[in-house]
This record gives sequence, structure tokens and C-alpha cells, in this order.
Amino acid sequence: MSINDFVQKALIDRRRFLIGSALGVGVIGAPGLVRPAFSSTGYSLASSIRSLSNAFHAAWNKGADSFAQSIGDPHSALVTEGNSEKGIADIKAFLAKAGDKAIIGADPNDSPDARPIVEAVAAAKGHVVTVWNKPDDLHPWDFGDNYVAHMSFNGVPAGEQTAKALFDSFGGEGAIVALGGIPSNVSAIERKAGLMKMIEASGGKVKLLDFQDADWDSAKANNIVAAWLTRFGDEIKGIWAANDGMAIGALEALRAEGLAGQIQVTGVDGTRDAIQAVKNKEMAATVDWDPFWIGGIALSLGHHAATGAFIPSKEPQEHREFYGTGALITQADVEDYWAKNIEATPEIDWNDLWGRVSGQITY
Amino acid sequence: MKSMKSRWASAIPLFVLIGLCVAIAVLDPKFLSLGNIGRIAAAASAPLVLALGATFIILMGSIDLSVEGAMAFAGAVLAAFVANASGTGFDIGLAAIPIALLAAAAFGCFIGMVHVYLKVPSFMASLGMGFVGIGIATVLLGGERVGILDQNVRALALTRVLGLPLSVYVSLFMLAVAWFIQDHTRIGRHIMALGGGEDLAAASGINVRRVRLLAFTIAGMFFGVGAVLTSARLGASSALLGSGQLFTAISAVVVGGTALTGGKGGVLQTVIGVLIVIVLNNGMIILGLPSFVQQGVLGLAIILAVLLNSSGRSLAIVK
Amino acid sequence: MLDLKEITKTFGRVRALKGVSITVDVGEVVGLVGENGAGKSTLMKVLNGIHQPDSGTVEINGKTETLRGPRDAAAKGIGMVFQEQSLIANISVAENIFIGNEAQFVRFGRIDWKAMGEAAKRQLDKVGLDVDPRTITSELSFMQRQMVELAKVLTLEEAVDGNLCILLDEPTSVLEQAEIDILFGVIRKLRERAGIIFISHRLDEVIEISDTIYVMKDGAVVERMMKADATPERIHHLMVGREATGSYYKQDERRPPAEAIALSVQNVSRALQFSEISFDVHDGEVLALVGTEGAGSEPLIRSFFGLERTHLGKIVYRGEDITNTSPGRAVAAGIGYVPRERKIEGIVEEMSVQENICLPLGGRLTRFGLFDFPAIARKTAGLIAKLRIKTPDGSTLCANLSGGNQQKVVLSKWYRTDARLFLLDHPTRGLDVGAKEDVYALIREMCAAGAAVVLIADTLEEALGLAHTVIVLKDGRQTARFDNTGPTPVTPLDLIAHMV
Repeated sequence: MSINDFVQKALIDRRRFLIGSALGVGVIGAPGLVRPAFSSTGYSLASSIRSLSNAFHAAWNKGADSFAQSIGDPHSALVTEGNSEKGIADIKAFLAKAGDKAIIGADPNDSPDARPIVEAVAAAKGHVVTVWNKPDDLHPWDFGDNYVAHMSFNGVPAGEQTAKALFDSFGGEGAIVALGGIPSNVSAIERKAGLMKMIEASGGKVKLLDFQDADWDSAKANNIVAAWLTRFGDEIKGIWAANDGMAIGALEALRAEGLAGQIQVTGVDGTRDAIQAVKNKEMAATVDWDPFWIGGIALSLGHHAATGAFIPSKEPQEHREFYGTGALITQADVEDYWAKNIEATPEIDWNDLWGRVSGQITY
Repeated sequence: MKSMKSRWASAIPLFVLIGLCVAIAVLDPKFLSLGNIGRIAAAASAPLVLALGATFIILMGSIDLSVEGAMAFAGAVLAAFVANASGTGFDIGLAAIPIALLAAAAFGCFIGMVHVYLKVPSFMASLGMGFVGIGIATVLLGGERVGILDQNVRALALTRVLGLPLSVYVSLFMLAVAWFIQDHTRIGRHIMALGGGEDLAAASGINVRRVRLLAFTIAGMFFGVGAVLTSARLGASSALLGSGQLFTAISAVVVGGTALTGGKGGVLQTVIGVLIVIVLNNGMIILGLPSFVQQGVLGLAIILAVLLNSSGRSLAIVK
Repeated sequence: MLDLKEITKTFGRVRALKGVSITVDVGEVVGLVGENGAGKSTLMKVLNGIHQPDSGTVEINGKTETLRGPRDAAAKGIGMVFQEQSLIANISVAENIFIGNEAQFVRFGRIDWKAMGEAAKRQLDKVGLDVDPRTITSELSFMQRQMVELAKVLTLEEAVDGNLCILLDEPTSVLEQAEIDILFGVIRKLRERAGIIFISHRLDEVIEISDTIYVMKDGAVVERMMKADATPERIHHLMVGREATGSYYKQDERRPPAEAIALSVQNVSRALQFSEISFDVHDGEVLALVGTEGAGSEPLIRSFFGLERTHLGKIVYRGEDITNTSPGRAVAAGIGYVPRERKIEGIVEEMSVQENICLPLGGRLTRFGLFDFPAIARKTAGLIAKLRIKTPDGSTLCANLSGGNQQKVVLSKWYRTDARLFLLDHPTRGLDVGAKEDVYALIREMCAAGAAVVLIADTLEEALGLAHTVIVLKDGRQTARFDNTGPTPVTPLDLIAHMV
């Protein structure tokens, strides 16, 4: 195929920003290369995220780009590489340049980082929305209008929902094994809590044979599952994983033994290959957080607040600190999801600020 | 007498491996089942190839921290040239593998050039270039994990001959290649000589730069093979393809008895080192040890191995 | 065959060679002598292609040549046996002999080990060394390695058509007399088709083997003399540029020791290395440990500094039990140690002369918690002058000094700490005459200041020249104790009788 076809093909849908886009058009999302769709509104947008190497934050960056294009303002990704100091320093440098025109969507590298980030933004009179991590005693309403909102996702229901789908796959009675994330990580703790709740609720019908931390790593998950097959053999009826990367690692370990599809796997995050595996009936379920939406809506909230479309301090607390909604994808509804979200490019209405709010965060 | 002593010392890792296997098998006989031995072999194949590559660099007295980046880069190139889940690859089937290996070798060669011509210490050159590799892979793959659909590539992990996946045979072949390079070629012997004394080797007329460049190229090629095996096993390529592999590779080399100061050890020791690390990982899960205990055991095992390997050296020259 | 004309070479501010001209003919052995830092090593590196001269020419067989590196020099017939051995310890003898020239044994990318082994055997036969070429080099003795080194250079006989020039840099410095005789036999045989440059600090040897002798001083040749005209005294005078004062070992400065016991060694043993050693060292006393290589004196002296553990017995330093101490505590207690391997244990090459000298002082040179650099510079400048350390200034890196000057830095380092017990392991190894005298003077001064010295000397003469007491070790046991201050002098023969 010619390079041209290749580029065309690569540009067709938003989820296909992969190999093709890079080989064809070069750097993805590099600020300046993206031609604004409309004339600028004069704001500078930035997303502070961990890295562009993981699918979740890469999609986040795409969503943020998409929103930035819709209003015609420049957007840049500030990558922390897991380093709190770098994350905060980059944000301060960005504020020094953009001043009160700064709008930031941030995934603080670690909970305590949120405070200096928010204080720096408030001092510069910019606007910030934080996602996932913040200290429990730091609240948007303590900072007037500059700390627009904090958005998080509750891992407990995700853990519950995927566990339920997994149990259903083998008729609700049998033994499972489970793979956890990095044990000190909030999402890992919440998702595990959801799983444990469902095991308890099964009243002894579902037994947890072993729980191992695979640190979000698919290769590690792969090796652990291989060893489990030695230890437990066909006792294992299902494998629960705290994210899709580990779920795929587990699935490939099963495939190497010819067991893919016979033992169902679940994950969380809604990555493309996991959704494909659900479609192939090798995974029972995953939860889609839609990072594309997170990246865009965080900036949209900030932009609406900055332009005065709404006044944050006049909003109720459930609009300042809220859980977003994750969508459970099971084998029953995956075809529908595939058609709407992957084959077609979903039109996200960036002006629908509160549509996916599922309640105020409780501690 | 001295040589007897050193011969015993180099056999210690082998005894450790045997002791480990016996201990685990006593606690749970399933460990020695054919199925599990096959699983250990499959789990060890990619780490072995990676550790072999790292062995050459460590023998030279340098260090290569680019394992994860080189793997990411090679994995991304592989994904770009096979049928993949994003539907955008140039689908050229198995011919993608030599391309990925060439890319990995070129990547290693480039690290060597940075190291040799810009006189950047190897750990910094490889660490920096490792990040570059992850960066390139991120751009190529758009940050996603891209499924590899090519059944011929997947066959490396999924097709079995005599009960073992093809990847095991590939890694044994690479072991033979590594052993041949180390013991029967000029470049292999020069790598050894550099580890024994770089100034001396240079004074004997060895082109040290060329040796270093070639060593990094060879290592890159091995990392490429490791990347292909890992992609085949995980059925996907991503910028994080190699995550965790650097630690496994370097610790396996050291546990096997190759000195970080260079010049001592070799690829056969590395096989033992890899098996110790993999058996330990597999055994601890079979015995049902909690995750946090496993981490501790692994860390202690590495320190112990270094201690065993350095015993007999006098206090004064340990740095 | 080799003609050097007006070679100059400058490193930074140091003019290492100031127009050196030397001629070597086939069949001629040219002796080259000079103090450390006189430029001999630099000249050798120019000949080996490691350094390029700033000006001047190198003519080989009448043709002006540029030597681009060791390989290039070798291809043109110049081979070198290094002072610091150039063999790589972790590879086999055969590989060392043919390193860089393996191409002749490579078939389809694979090294033919059998062919290389046989070829190596032929080279080893030339120097009369009977070892298996597959032996790992680290398992050979020092002498054997020296012979392998020579065998390696002799591969040029087959590889080069024309005449050879072979440079021998300090080949005898650590050899025993019998070994030296073998070496000289080989050198005499080599003359048939080679010119030889022989560098040594042992002046009698140089005179014995050489036909012509060049004396270098401060980067220039100060005299060229024929064998017949050469005497050690004359050469020494030319090299040092000052008279050899007093007796060589400064015996006349030897003072009787004090009553106080500085170090008391009581029945100490270490498995397989030494056993049941007992002696006392008094303040102001020099005690020498002698014995053949491996008799146990090195591990013994290291055990006093906490570098080796003892298994039995007791070591008492000024009334305090220091058995199995640590180097840190030893330094704090006032013990100084000058190791044999100065590159490994003695100095930090990447630090300046000043910093090295002040290293063990730690807190004593600080003011308000900061290093007092002017004070450091003042104090070290005195020492640099006193020991005649050849360095542009105190802030020069030690790596840039010659071996002898590095050793002086090591000595002054401990001297500065006001140590009260000095453990000297071969302090004059590889030093030239002038530098040795400086070291002897320093040892006398240490004693005069009341310090005690335990010494492992380079030669028996040196031990007898310096020591008040000599302890002889054989196979780890103490076989004799000599009081060297009595009316009848102890001779080396007396010592040897108890050594073997």
C-alpha cells in the first residue's frame, strides 16, 4: 500500500492514532502541528499527565487536543514521567508564561502534589481541574473560583461490576484467582475492595484461591498465571485483574496452554485490546473510563469557568468534587459499544459538563 | 590451588539453582511436573535472550540500561510490519522479524556510538537512549498497546514442539550463538579482554572503540530477539513491552556470577542466573508466598549472590 | 635501524621531552636511564605510537615514519615490553600472545584454538617458558608473566620482515637474580636480528647488558657513554645532578630506639598465611620483615592495619588491643600504611596532590566546618618541596605524576597525619635511586620524631640498611630474629639461610 493510503487510513478514526499516524504524519499531538479549527479564544491549555507511553494517558492527551481544537486554543502535554517535582515545576513554568489565561487539567502524580499545584494556579489566577489524586482535606470550594473541580472514579463499583460479570461467566459457583495492581495505589485498593465485597456477597460460593500483586504489568501477570496453572490446575474457573494490561497478560498465558476462552478473564480501563478480547468472548468484561472524555472535559470545565459560562463557587458541591461514570462493557453489549465507539467516531459534546457525574465524592 | 578455588566459586550458582529446585519440589512436588517445567522454560526464554545480550556488555565492564527502551523500539518496529490490531501495519509477515532485529541492532549501535564517540559513560548513554527508545515507540504506537495478529509471529509462543513452545528453541539457539561469539570469535574474546583491562587491550593494538561499538550492536540484536519473543508471548506490542525486564536481565547476569567489573563470567553462567530468577519467581507463587515476601526474597537473593561471588576477594579492593 | 631525531613533547605546562635524539643499531643493546619523570616513559610511548611527538622525526631503517599507534608501531618492527605489565589477566596465555593479531587463526569467523595454541607454544619455547598456552594468565607467577610478555613481543619476528627494535621498560624490577639471568640470556640471543632499548633503575644491570648508555634528565639526554666508560657512580651523578650524600641507606642517621613499645605482636596466626608470630617494635625503631614471596609478611603487615583478619593471637598498639581493627580505627589511632599496590590502595589518581596528602587528615584541616584551603596549600607546599615531588603545583592531579612521585605523595600523606606507627610495604618498589634516597631520608626522619616503622623492603640490602631489627619468615612461620645494631654486621647470606 502506498504511504498516502496508509496515512489516509490512519487518519480515519480517533481511536486509530497508532502506528500509521506516526509513520505517516509524524509527531502526534505536537503542539503547533495541529491546525486550529476555529479562531483562538486567547487561553492556553495544558494537561499534566504521567506519560504518553501508556494507553490511558495517551488517550487523555488526544481528548484534550480534541477539545483544544474545538475552541482553537493551543494545548500542550506536561509529562511528569512519574516525578512529582518535575510535574509541579512544569506547571509553574507553564503558569509563568500563560498567567491568568492558563487552564490546566492535571492528574497529580501523587496525592500530596495536588496542593502545591492548586495553590500555584490560584496565585496566578488561572483555572485548574484535578483528576484522580488529591488529599482528602483539599477541596475546590476552599479556593474560590480558580480550583474549578476535582473529578475521580470510584474503583469499588468497577471491581464489583467486573467481579460479578466474571462470576456469571462460570455460573456463580467456583474458584478464582486475582491479580492486583501496585499495592499502595488508591485505584488498586478500591478495585480490590470491590472484588472482595462480591466474593463475600457470594456467600462462599466463589472462592479466592490466591491474590497476587502484578504491579499493573502484563508480563508479570503472564508469569504469575502460568505458575497458578501449575499450582491450581483446573480448579481455576476465572481470573480477575485490576486492569486490562494484566488481564491481557493473563489471557495470553491461558492462550499458550490452549485455555483462552475456557477460563474467562476480566479487567478494568477499557483499552482497545481488552474490548477486542471481550468481543472474542475471551474476556468477560472490562470498564471503560473513557480517558478521551476525561482529558477533554477537564479542560472544558476549566474553560467554561474561565470564560464565566458558569461560576464555580455558585455550583453545588456535587459539581465540584464528583465521581465520573465508568461504563461496564460485557460480552452482551460489546457489539453495540464497538459499533458506536470504535467503528464510528463518537461525537462528544464538550459543553455537556455534568452529564457523566455520578455523585459527590465521599470519604 | 587458586584455580581450584575459583572453579568452585563459579559453580556456586549452579548449586544454588539445584538447591532451590530441590527445596521447592520437596514443599510442592507439582513444581517438577512436566507442565510446570515447560512453563518455566517458556517464562525463561525471553529473559534469557535479554540477559545474554546484557552479559556481553557487563563482561566488557560496562552496563547497558537500555534493555526496556531497545525492546520497546524493536517491538514497535515489529508491530509496524505485521498484521496488527490497529489495522495499520505493513503486513509483510515473518519478514518483519529480521527488520525488527536490524532496527534493534542499529539502536544498539547508536548507543555504542554515543558512548564511544561522544565519550558518554555507558550507563548514561544507554539509560538516555533507553528513554529515547521508549519515546520513539510511544510515538510509533500512539501510546497504545497494539495487538499482534500475525499468526506466524504468535506461533513462537503458541506452537509447541515436544511440549515446549518454539520460543524456548529460539532462546536455546540464541544461547548457542552467544556462546559461539563469546568463546570462538575475535569480537567475543576482545570483549573479554576489555573486561580484563581496557588500557592493556588498547596498548596491545585492539581497536577498543570498534569492540565497544560491536558489543552494543550485538547486545541490541539480542534485545531485539527478546522483544520479538515477548511480543509473541503477550500477543501485543507497547512502549511498556519491556517494563521490568531490565531488572530481571541485569540481576540474572549478576546472580549467575558475571562480575559487574567485567572480565569474569560468561553466557553459560547467565543461563544459570536466569533460571535461578525464574525458578524463584515461579516457585514462590506455587508455594503461595504473599507478594511482599516475594519482592523481599528476590532482593535478598541478589545481594546474597553478589556476596557469594565476591567472597575470596580481599576487603581492600572492594569498591 | 632506529633513529630518533630531536623529539619534543609537551603536556600542558610540562615539557616532557626537550629534543631527544637516540640511535639504535641492530645487534646493539641501548641502555636508557634517568630518574622518575626524566621522560623515559614518555619517550617509550612516542616510540609505541601512543603519543605523537610535537616535533622531531622517527626513522626506521632509514625511512621517516609516523607511528599511529601500538599496532602501527608493531607493524613497523617496534615491540614493547611494558613496565606495568600489559597482559590481560582473565584470558589465556595464547590469547595474550596473539591479542590483536588473531586474524591468522580465524577460519570462517571462528578462531582455530588448536592452531593458536601451537603457535603460542612456539613463542613460549623462544623464552624457555614451559606452561600450557591455555592457562588463564592470572594463574601465572610474576616472572612467568614477564616471560609471556617477552614471548608476545617476539611474535614480531614472524610478523615483520625487516629488523626489530624491542623496548624493555623495567623488565627486571621485580625479578630474582636467577630470573634476570634467564632474561639476559634471551636478550643476548635476540641481538642477532634486533636492536634493543633496555630501561632499568638497577644501574649495574644496565651496565652489564648494554653496549651504549643514554642518561636522561628533565626531558633531555645529558650524556651518551659506551659500556667501557660507565660506572654506577658516574651514571648516578648524571641522573640525579647531585652527589649521593652520606651512606646510601643513611645508616649514620640511625638512632637507638626508645624504651616504649609501640606495637606488640603476640602469637598471631591467620589460617594458611602466617602462624604464631611474636615481636615488639619500639618507638624510633625500624623493624623489617623479610622472607621469600608468599612467606606471609604481606598479609601480616596488612593485618596490623585491619585489612586482613587474624584468627589467633593478639596485637597491641601502645597498650591498646587492636586485634582485627579496621583501617578507619587504625588511622584514628595514628597508624599509617603505605601499600605495595599504590595504584589500588595508595592514592586517588583523580584527586590533586594536595587533596591526596590531606585525605587521612579529615577534620583537622577545617575551620568552621569548611576546608581551610590556604592552610592546606601552605602545609602541602612544604612537603612537596621537602620530598622533591616533581609536580607543577599542588593542584595537579596525581594521575599526571610519574610512579616515583606518586609514591612520594603516598608517603607524605601519612607523614602529615603525625602517625606514630608506619607500616611500609615495599615503599621503594619501582623507584629510581634519587627517589629511593628521599624515601630513606623520610624513614629516618620518622624515627627521629619518635615513630615506629614496620617495613617490608624491596631487597635484603635495603632491609639490612634500614632496620634495627630483622624478622625472617618462612612459610608463614618466624624462623629468625636478628638484632642489626650489634658490632658484627648481619649479611644477606645470614638472612637467606633462614628464608629457604
